[in-house]
Amino acid sequence: MEKVVTNPAIVVEELCVEFSGKTVLENVSLTILPAELHVIIGPSGSGKSTLLRAINRLNEFFPNCRTSGLVRIRLDGHLVDIYARDAPPLPELRRRVAMVFQTPAVLPFSIEKNMTMPLKVTLGLRGGELRERMEWALRQVGLWDEVEARLLDEATTLSGGQQQRLCLARALALGPQVLLVDEPTASLDFRATETIEQLLVDLKDRYTIIAVSHSLSQARRLADRLWVLREGRVMQQMNRRQLQDAALFQEIIDNIF
Amino acid sequence: MKKIADRCLVGFAWLSAGMVTLAAVMLVGFLLRRGLASIDGSLFFGETHWLDAVSGRAPVFEGIWPALMGTLYLVLVSSFVSIPVGIASGVYLAEYASKRVRASLGCAVDLLAGTPSIVMGLFGFALILLLRRTLFPQAGTSLALAALCIALLVLPYVIRTTQTALQAIPVHLRILGPVCGLSGLQAIVHILLPVASRGILSGVILAMGRAAEDTAVILLTGVVAQAGMPRGLWERFEALPFRIYYLAAEHQTRRQLDQGFATSLVLLLLTSTLFLTAFMLQRRFEKRWKKW
Repeated sequence: MEKVVTNPAIVVEELCVEFSGKTVLENVSLTILPAELHVIIGPSGSGKSTLLRAINRLNEFFPNCRTSGLVRIRLDGHLVDIYARDAPPLPELRRRVAMVFQTPAVLPFSIEKNMTMPLKVTLGLRGGELRERMEWALRQVGLWDEVEARLLDEATTLSGGQQQRLCLARALALGPQVLLVDEPTASLDFRATETIEQLLVDLKDRYTIIAVSHSLSQARRLADRLWVLREGRVMQQMNRRQLQDAALFQEIIDNIF
Repeated sequence: MKKIADRCLVGFAWLSAGMVTLAAVMLVGFLLRRGLASIDGSLFFGETHWLDAVSGRAPVFEGIWPALMGTLYLVLVSSFVSIPVGIASGVYLAEYASKRVRASLGCAVDLLAGTPSIVMGLFGFALILLLRRTLFPQAGTSLALAALCIALLVLPYVIRTTQTALQAIPVHLRILGPVCGLSGLQAIVHILLPVASRGILSGVILAMGRAAEDTAVILLTGVVAQAGMPRGLWERFEALPFRIYYLAAEHQTRRQLDQGFATSLVLLLLTSTLFLTAFMLQRRFEKRWKKW
């Protein structure tokens, strides 16, 4: 029996997304619960990243995008339709529904400026408050001790794993409620992958996390709830118990892929 | 066959690069040979003591000091107009304009870029005639008018380089503004413009160089042979390129012609100094914005 959802963090209903008339997502409906790690898997081109980007309206950054359907997110206790006319402004929405990409997307600035510039510009933080917030976020991702002595070095001098954690810290510093993570370990080695996976598990109690993964084993390790996407449709939803059953998991995956 | 074509192409590329370098070296060499000997205190200040000339206590009649200052003011005033307007227009074309607007405005920018400078000078002259007949009967050709016309002339360089530099920023960098919760304008100011600043600098350098060397525009809009030091925006002025033209066209002795070459060398030095200053300012600014 599925448990009855009383306080969903995100509700997506009949979401359709088109780019230049080509349908990428078709009637996608799903409910995201707080304090659970949600993972989306699917073959290339199945619409995984588009689904993530629909949740912070980042698809609109790309030309000729049309979105229909409902995406409601719990912000400050209320479910808010983010595509409605009275929805929060886009910059605010994207601060609260933060996103981390497949390849580490650091700004071409120093480590410190990667952290402080968005805080200064969007939240107007200055002085001690700014430094405290930066240190807090870098500690959250276990990066503070590694970068404390080299904050003014260019962010690109960090390793891939460190850059990815910096991106995560930059997102956390802005005080999000939802974290959208698009294949965060795709470009990382084994050890860095392990660190990021552990981080996501540690953070899931405080943030609603939706991750896209390219790896079935990673999806099984991390997911409390898993969605399988194919050709823009949700083909299967699995919970923790189903995921634990290796034979069942394999059977379902074989059927879909 | 393909190998021979490849070799020919490489050879032609080397030859072309070599010819450009040779032309530049020959030009500077020729100017140095004819002009260097004439660069001395009297070239700049004539009979006037340099301290009196620089401090403005005594007028300079023979030297090029007033023309040097005139050109410097002209470049500064025209840059003051063309750089901010050019960058803002480039930002608009790259970031805000729809495809249709971009095409039609782009056409206007190209038209402006293709306008001969003498036409721009005539425009300035006609403008001042119109103003005299209508709103400002006492208006005349001046440093302000010349700088404005020069700014119009060099505006396309700044617009196009800004637009190109912004459009060259890859999507993965461009998307970071929205991802960090920045508004469109905030992303332009805090991410896109700093990242594009090296490209924009090349446009600024081109614009300053063109402003310093153009003669046709200022000929009709405010330059005169003997104006002395520039006294204000609404006064006529002297300028190095006009001085060079005057010396070359009207020289009586070989010494005067050599002074013309020496003046060319000074103009080259002035523009080089301006380029170097712009370059160093950009690098300093870049070092700063990368850290904090």
